[in-house]
Amino acid sequence: MLTVRNLSVWYGLSEVLRDVSFSVPRGEVVALLGGNGAGKTTLLKTLSGLVKPRGGAVEFDERPIAGLHPHDIVTKGVIQVPQGRFVWPSMSVADNLALGAAARHDKAGIAADLERVYDFFPRLRERRGVPAGTLSGGEQQMVAIGRALMARPRILLMDEPSHGLSPRLVQEMIEVIRRLNEEGMTIFLIEQNIGVPAAVAGTTYVLANGAIAFQTHGSKVADDPEVLSSYLGGGRH
Amino acid sequence: MLLAYALSSGITSGALYALVAVGLVLCYRTTGHINFSHGELFMIGGFLAFTLHVMWGLPYIVALLGAVAGSFVLGVLTDRVVYQPLIKAPPIAMVMATVGLSFVLKGIGRHFWGGQGEVVPFPPLVSPAPVLIGGVAVFPQQLVVVASVVVCMLLLTLFFTRTRAGKMMQATAENAHAAYLVGIRVERVYMLTWGVGAALAGVAAVFVAPLTLLTPDIGLSLLLKAFAATILGGLGSMTGAVIGGLLVGILEALAGTYIASSIQDVSAFIIILAVLVFRPTGLLGARARREV
Ligand SMILES: Nc1ncnc2c1ncn2[C@@H]1O[C@H](COP(=O)(O)OP(=O)(O)O)[C@@H](O)[C@H]1O
Ligand SMILES: [Mg+2]
Repeated sequence: MLTVRNLSVWYGLSEVLRDVSFSVPRGEVVALLGGNGAGKTTLLKTLSGLVKPRGGAVEFDERPIAGLHPHDIVTKGVIQVPQGRFVWPSMSVADNLALGAAARHDKAGIAADLERVYDFFPRLRERRGVPAGTLSGGEQQMVAIGRALMARPRILLMDEPSHGLSPRLVQEMIEVIRRLNEEGMTIFLIEQNIGVPAAVAGTTYVLANGAIAFQTHGSKVADDPEVLSSYLGGGRH
Repeated sequence: MLLAYALSSGITSGALYALVAVGLVLCYRTTGHINFSHGELFMIGGFLAFTLHVMWGLPYIVALLGAVAGSFVLGVLTDRVVYQPLIKAPPIAMVMATVGLSFVLKGIGRHFWGGQGEVVPFPPLVSPAPVLIGGVAVFPQQLVVVASVVVCMLLLTLFFTRTRAGKMMQATAENAHAAYLVGIRVERVYMLTWGVGAALAGVAAVFVAPLTLLTPDIGLSLLLKAFAATILGGLGSMTGAVIGGLLVGILEALAGTYIASSIQDVSAFIIILAVLVFRPTGLLGARARREV
């Protein structure tokens, strides 16, 4: 469904992603593991149109999307849950969710989806009038995911969903990803934390120094010594 | 009596400074940049109203709408000509560009309207005779101005809390990255922001015109007052800008009345310096960040 071929991305004079290729089949959870500074966020920014690649191709449903405006990528159903959640802090939970549908115009569909998000995250229904910035980290992550669901994703790109969460909340996050996938959502997940792909991912890629180091299966990442060694070597410099 | 007079005229000019300051803050919080030509947008808005109303004899309301529309367009042009092309440049480039733009606009003002505002004054909106309210003489003009500013603020609040476009603007101001990711056309939000910010300066100008002489050089002093208001209110807060604007107006009127009239014009400067030295976060301090 999503195919990335030989993608290369530069920031000024430094090459951040080099010849990155992978694919995400419909209905699957695919993960990409990498250490701090490996280029994970850059990859997702490129997929969402926030960064223009220098070379390579990104195809969604066989159609090229690399270099499109973020709005056009969103309307195709490629929706990102950004790293660090990025809720709009002074705005209510309900407004945050409603703006998830900023690129849509089907009023009835939007209202129905809002109910579905509240059914999926009942906690958000309780707190819908509260400024999102006052919620706990775990609740903000729910807002960020709910907001992305409001955009009607056909594929969900998640940047370190476990980041900054307690072990208990990481378990909850894993459950959320599993439930979304069981409902048919295709998910491309980026993580530093091996626990998440180990629990939910099928194909798992390891990114080190801006290139795909190798590929394995989620069920094997926890006991593959190569995983750890490759991304310990994949630091900033 | 003197105090009441100073207060009522201070509140009136303060309300107008608030309007100019809110436009400045609106652009600042959404785009991260101070528009150094904001005062000139005000000036051009005022002269557009002058042309429509005084020179062409059209009704005041037409002049108001014309000035608002004209300054909105100037704001949009600022976005197209200055902001969008420099969006990725270092912040200092934007400072230079808006300062440059202020000179261009001032030149345009001088070319078309140089000297005219002084020769043909803008007539008063309503009867200039004062009315007594609770023993205090108030000019109806002042009441009209304050009421209009209150209406503008209410409309703006409704815009941010009730409309989709307003919420998109708020979201872009709080986190543009997240705004892109839900498919908000952030560039259009920026364009609308520059337009609305300039339109607010235009509205203020239409109300200031009958109170003072319009000159092509009026922009800088308005910008300084709006600056003082925003710094006093805590840069980035629109509520703070309103409170700051009123305070600047009142302090300036008091200084002019009780110290020396020559102080009046520099009091905005003194306020800026004093706040930066003693309370750099403004009166509302850190609180300011969360408000609309
Ligand atoms: N906007 C930017 N400009 C220049 N370099 C950047 C920018 N963003 C990230 N980088 C650099 O690119 C590399 C990859 O960053 P990032 O994609 O954020 O990594 P990760 O998400 O894997 O931690 C890092 O070395 C980082 O310093
Ligand atoms: Mg990252």
